[in-house]
Amino acid sequence: MNSTAPSPVRAGDPASQTADAVPAVDVKGVTKRFGATEVLQGIDLSVPAGATTCLIGPSGSGKSTLLRCIAFLEEATTGTIAIHGDPLGFAEGPDGKRTRLSPQAIRTVRSRIGMVFQQFNLWPHMTALGNVCEALVTVRKMKRKDAEERGMAQLTRVGLANRAAHYPSELSGGQQQRVAIARALALDPEILLFDEPTASLDPELTGEVLNVMRDLASSGMTLLVVTHEIGFAATVGQRIAFLDHGRLLLNGSPREVFGEPRHPRLAQFLETYLDRGAATLL
Amino acid sequence: MSLDFGLILKQMPDILSGLWVTLWMWIVATLLGAALGFLVAVGRRYGPAPLDWLLKLCVEMLRGTPFLVQLFLLYFGGPFIGLRLEPIPAGLLGLTVYAAAYFSEIFRAGFQAVPKGHVEAADMAGLSRAQILRRIILPEMTMLVLPQCVNMAIVLIKETAILSIITVPEMTMVIGAIGSQQYAFVDAMFLLAIIYWVLVEICGFLGRLAEARLSKFRFAAS
Amino acid sequence: MSWRLFDLMLWAAGYTVLLSGISIAIGLTLGLLVCAAKLSTSRLLSAPATVFISFFRGVPLLVQLLLIYNLLPQIGIMVPSVVAAILGLSLCTAAYQAENLRGGFNSVPKGLLEAADMVGLSPWQQLTRIRAPIAFRLTLPALVNEAILILKASSLISVVGVIELTRMAQNLAASTYKPLLFYSVAGGLYLVICWTLAGGGALAERLTRTHRA
Repeated sequence: MNSTAPSPVRAGDPASQTADAVPAVDVKGVTKRFGATEVLQGIDLSVPAGATTCLIGPSGSGKSTLLRCIAFLEEATTGTIAIHGDPLGFAEGPDGKRTRLSPQAIRTVRSRIGMVFQQFNLWPHMTALGNVCEALVTVRKMKRKDAEERGMAQLTRVGLANRAAHYPSELSGGQQQRVAIARALALDPEILLFDEPTASLDPELTGEVLNVMRDLASSGMTLLVVTHEIGFAATVGQRIAFLDHGRLLLNGSPREVFGEPRHPRLAQFLETYLDRGAATLL
Repeated sequence: MSLDFGLILKQMPDILSGLWVTLWMWIVATLLGAALGFLVAVGRRYGPAPLDWLLKLCVEMLRGTPFLVQLFLLYFGGPFIGLRLEPIPAGLLGLTVYAAAYFSEIFRAGFQAVPKGHVEAADMAGLSRAQILRRIILPEMTMLVLPQCVNMAIVLIKETAILSIITVPEMTMVIGAIGSQQYAFVDAMFLLAIIYWVLVEICGFLGRLAEARLSKFRFAAS
Repeated sequence: MSWRLFDLMLWAAGYTVLLSGISIAIGLTLGLLVCAAKLSTSRLLSAPATVFISFFRGVPLLVQLLLIYNLLPQIGIMVPSVVAAILGLSLCTAAYQAENLRGGFNSVPKGLLEAADMVGLSPWQQLTRIRAPIAFRLTLPALVNEAILILKASSLISVVGVIELTRMAQNLAASTYKPLLFYSVAGGLYLVICWTLAGGGALAERLTRTHRA
């Protein structure tokens, strides 16, 4: 707590700052206010491409808000966010002034991001396959047959090919969340965002969802995961970012973040999450 | 006392013509009312704020006054502002506007009941605003508001009886007139009550059938 | 419109409120009984309750009123038309209120009663201490709604000759040739009463919010 500097460790070293090293998500000076409360108090975070980054922190620390800002479901009050170097929502001129981009530009950048929600948010009037294919047909203008082929491939990937014709109400929570992941994957996103994907699930159903996420992580996709599953974060996450009271306190590899000497706020936080796999870290 | 429907049922052609007027006016007013109510709900949700206030005022005035008074105002007051309507057009107009006010509230609640996350998911998938409305909000809303719409249709078939007061030749007026002529008014009213009862039960049954068929699309519990 | 005529309209509005209030009160009492019968495990009680609810909710109030108004003298009961009108309104609203109450009682979470059972409350205590208060709170919005519906429906008793607000407007409109004016005033008075009821209902809901099931 010696300074408000966002991280004790920065990703990469100056030597590797080539074109390849452009971060998948680059968050600069983002603040977010809801009325009088400042939920995010100036976040700088770069999410490396091809790796899994886990955002952890106590409830109300602003992790979900940060993720929703990156998805542009919320608009940051100040600051900028870039996806692979392309500004999302707002561009910053040389004079430091923010200007809003055209809706078309926002849609283009945003189409490179996929999102998985805590509440799944499957559309109840469509089957599992219908959910996965919807945007392929209506947005990407694919032929129904091609879309279904691609949709089935994604359902197979999450192990639900045999549930394609089921409606969400006929699926368990874990299955619904896996369909939601397939729905996001079908659009071939460069970055996949997860907003507490297992928080609404019964404990015995979290495993199947975490396994799918593990597979995605090992396939080299860029994942940004807000989670309370500390065990998952420590074993699958290649980068850990710890938020507290709207500030990014720590950002580094699991070893750097969880290892000794441990930040006192993190130690305090881990104490309350012993049952979520944090015990192994103590 | 004993009931005797024989005298009344002798006038079957008249009864059937009354039933026909009741049924077509009910169906047309329900469909037009629902369509108008939907437009009002869309205008209130997506239109500018002054339009919302204006429509809200109209809806609240229609919902806060008896249908009979609205009908009297239209039928007897209309000619004083140049709106001279025969009973049937007046009845149809009055019933449609009355229905639209209630339908608009049903649809407004339906819009609000579609979970925000479902719209966000569609937004993230890249659907445009029009696509989200057509592909996500409307179908979800239809399932949510179906029971209330059936309910409103049942309310409306009963309200058609009030049209007899401004001499629309529908079922209540026709059967009431037969009852008076035959000095069997109570028998006539019993018969009339039973016909309405059967119509309402059929309508409710069909509504429940439709609901059961849609139950598959219910919101999944999370 | 002279003030004397406006006074007449106001008086008629008061009469409408009075008649509706009496009907609501009788209807609520009757509705409670019908609801109890409907929830009863005995088919001897629940079957007639089901028919009662279905009939009075399935037949237009206008037809019910005409039926009762003409039936009573025929079976030897001579009463003023206002009594027939109140009877008709009460029976109709009783059917609706019975259904509302049933909905309220059925939505009291079962776990609350199990908890009451576990701490030793008798069935009667469970009913009066737990079930009824929660059911009442759950039914309150529907009750206010029903009061507004009956207030508006009371305009129909004008057809059996009771001089309430709508009939008064009709009489004055006919004698002065000013239907636009008198029906508008009647509509305005109905609006004031309905909005007052709705506002009062919202207030009552806020005041009883302490126990939300």
